[in-house]
Amino acid sequence: MSAVAPIEPTPGRSERELKREEAAIARKYMGRVPWEMVAWGLGNFVLWLSIWPLTFAGILPLWAAFVLSTVSITLCYLPSHEAQHSIIATEGSPLRWLNELVGHVSTIPLLLPYRIAWITHKQHHANANDPELDPDHANQGDTWWQAAWNGIQARQFGAGHGYKNALARSDDPNLGKALREGTILSLSYYAILVTLAWSGHAIEAALIWWLPRHIAMTYIQVFLSWAPHHPMEETGRYRDTRAWRSPVGTILSLGMEYHIVHHLFPRIPLFQTGPAYHEMRALLDERGCRNDRPD
Amino acid sequence: MRFMRSSPLLTAAGPVLFGGAFLAPLIAQSLEAASIPAPFGLEPLVFGLAVGISLGFVAALRGRWV
Repeated sequence: MSAVAPIEPTPGRSERELKREEAAIARKYMGRVPWEMVAWGLGNFVLWLSIWPLTFAGILPLWAAFVLSTVSITLCYLPSHEAQHSIIATEGSPLRWLNELVGHVSTIPLLLPYRIAWITHKQHHANANDPELDPDHANQGDTWWQAAWNGIQARQFGAGHGYKNALARSDDPNLGKALREGTILSLSYYAILVTLAWSGHAIEAALIWWLPRHIAMTYIQVFLSWAPHHPMEETGRYRDTRAWRSPVGTILSLGMEYHIVHHLFPRIPLFQTGPAYHEMRALLDERGCRNDRPD
Repeated sequence: MRFMRSSPLLTAAGPVLFGGAFLAPLIAQSLEAASIPAPFGLEPLVFGLAVGISLGFVAALRGRWV
């Protein structure tokens, strides 16, 4: 890892002016309620719940339930991510309850409690690419498949993984509540799996929740942690994240091609990071940001 | 609040419990669904318990499933 020297402002424009221009562009994309993320988060959760009765009633074949559930669980993190950053509604605003509802509900299938996600995600933003302090750094790898394997290894129960360490370091006032919620969610998950298994539905439990969750976790780690920060060697506001062109496109890479905008201005909604990137592209280049996009 | 690490005994027991409580019926029901008889004339659930708990035990010793 190499720390990068601060970017020198170009002649004629001061650091302050560059920051002001960046912020002026960013402000245009902040402030609205991203209703599409609210619908995505809550709708996706209802869709995932509906897979269970539809499968048990014989309406949905098990193979289709497996595919749908894998897609649904893969999609469940991003709405919670918007809520973690209070993008849906800030603290004290009338729609704050909706922000918290989306945050708590959307990641239940992924078994990632909202408060734990936020406590650890804050540390990722503050320490991106730091091998010791960035909880997502375990996903480093030269290739996506190495990153996927490293991510799987880091999730093993005996691994001293980044999330566990990040929680151990945290002095967040909500840590106790977050850990209690995590314990309840995990115990509920295992209780449901075991109950289903011993009542003759082990294959359904495995193919609707257990296996899809593992596949989704790996997919999310590759596209949200590894790809936008690859090769995870530099730190600093303008160098720890990149703009990149995904070989599988923007949708399949979960909108992460413009992740640099998110790290610079975390309150910009996901759907606005693309337009914001294109508008501030020249400024980012002037800053010496990491840009691996050909356009 | 200080973060509490789980005890090594609990961490080790987890995979064995998971192997017996979830993997065992999963293995048994998978064999039955595929119409594959369990080896050595065992009942599918007995075979599932033997394999599931063994896998859990190995995972507990290694600290990881894979």
